Amino acid sequence: MPRQLIFVLIALSVAIPLVIKLGLPNDVTREVRQVYDEIDQLDSGSVVMISFDHEASSLPEVKPMAVAILRHCFFKNLKVISLALLAEGTAIGDGILREVAKEYDKEYGKDYLFLGFRPQYQAAILGMGEDIKRVFPQDYKNISLEQISMMKDIKNYQDISLIISVADGDMPAYWVDYAVSRYHKKVATAVTAVMATSFYPFLASGQIVGLLGGLKGAAEYEILIQQPGMGQRGMDAQSVSHLVIILLVLLGNAGYFLRRKFTE
Amino acid sequence: MQIGTLIAAFLTLCIFSFLYKDNPFYKFAEHLLVGISVGYILVIAFNTTVTPKLINPIFQEGKFFYIIPGILGFFMFARFLPKYVWLSRISIALIIGAGAGVAIPATMQAKILAQMQASMTNFATPDGIIIFVAVATTLAYFFFSKEHKGWFGKTAKVGTWFLMIFFGATFGYTIMSRISLLIGRMQFLLGDFLHVIK
Repeated sequence: MPRQLIFVLIALSVAIPLVIKLGLPNDVTREVRQVYDEIDQLDSGSVVMISFDHEASSLPEVKPMAVAILRHCFFKNLKVISLALLAEGTAIGDGILREVAKEYDKEYGKDYLFLGFRPQYQAAILGMGEDIKRVFPQDYKNISLEQISMMKDIKNYQDISLIISVADGDMPAYWVDYAVSRYHKKVATAVTAVMATSFYPFLASGQIVGLLGGLKGAAEYEILIQQPGMGQRGMDAQSVSHLVIILLVLLGNAGYFLRRKFTE
Repeated sequence: MQIGTLIAAFLTLCIFSFLYKDNPFYKFAEHLLVGISVGYILVIAFNTTVTPKLINPIFQEGKFFYIIPGILGFFMFARFLPKYVWLSRISIALIIGAGAGVAIPATMQAKILAQMQASMTNFATPDGIIIFVAVATTLAYFFFSKEHKGWFGKTAKVGTWFLMIFFGATFGYTIMSRISLLIGRMQFLLGDFLHVIK
């Protein structure tokens, strides 16, 4: 089979379900519910830190997860402090935060804040455990944190209820290494599907309190917050394309065995 | 239609054209991506790190001791000058020394001790037993001081089954991840660009 034909089949299996909605069922897994429950049980005014630890190339996966989590946080009137430990996540994180904050009429500096980017993630994660203002003297807009009202009562991780790393690599592992092990802070992760299996051991050991894995994780979270979004819209396409891939694998194997049988 | 949407759609199609075969449109889009990414990272790093962490403290706040880490940072550029490359080793030694000092205890605690503890408990549950068998047999597969024969060979063989299950799960997730990226681009092309998705 020419490889271009396979590409066309995959493209069609993604495009058709996006145009014609199939409404295939999608269940909520325990690890996604754990993240939801952690956020849902927080009192109004509690502080959640969201770190955008990803690059631009993974935007289709990380954005639906980040949007769903932020919607839940703002709906619960939680305060959100955001940052980026990878440079490309900076503008993306700032954009997503402002977009969702606008939906809920949240005010910058009072309800949410974007600290910007810091390199040397080890130093940044450890430093914030002592004093956030020392690691980020100013926010992304170069406003001194001393002048920002929501930072008046926030010094370090002790004043933060939950940290969520939205990542496309192994950055959440560093949050576990430093924020969990050293400062005993609760950390949840929202990672691209390709990274999900790497974090199940941390979930099993209780080092992270929950896990969202890619578009599927986003779709599940959207079900929990009852706000359909990009995740749920993409899941029909995801399911159909997986079926096509399974069929192609079966056809490929059948072809291989038949060819071997007839050439022997 | 916004000009940004048109440019994004054109560049997306340029990248997709590689699926047919390599061509100048793909090369153009690829080089543009690399160039913009590097430029963006440089600007972000300079504005959010060099300026507030080095330039402002020295020139605005009068913290002149910041010159020392600044000089150590400049030593890194000595790698471009063969005669002075030894200077960069001072900075690298400092980074490796401090980095290892910070990382080793944390990694030991988070990735070894905590994971061992999690593998040793819950023997009363089926999950606990499966985890223990998986860890023990997989470690047996990676133990090379004894030949993989007899009962030890069979134990190691069971370890390979668990490894295959892990690789299969990881590969499945990888496919899901890559398809998600395609879905994102398709949503853009069919929605924002062609307005086919309602």
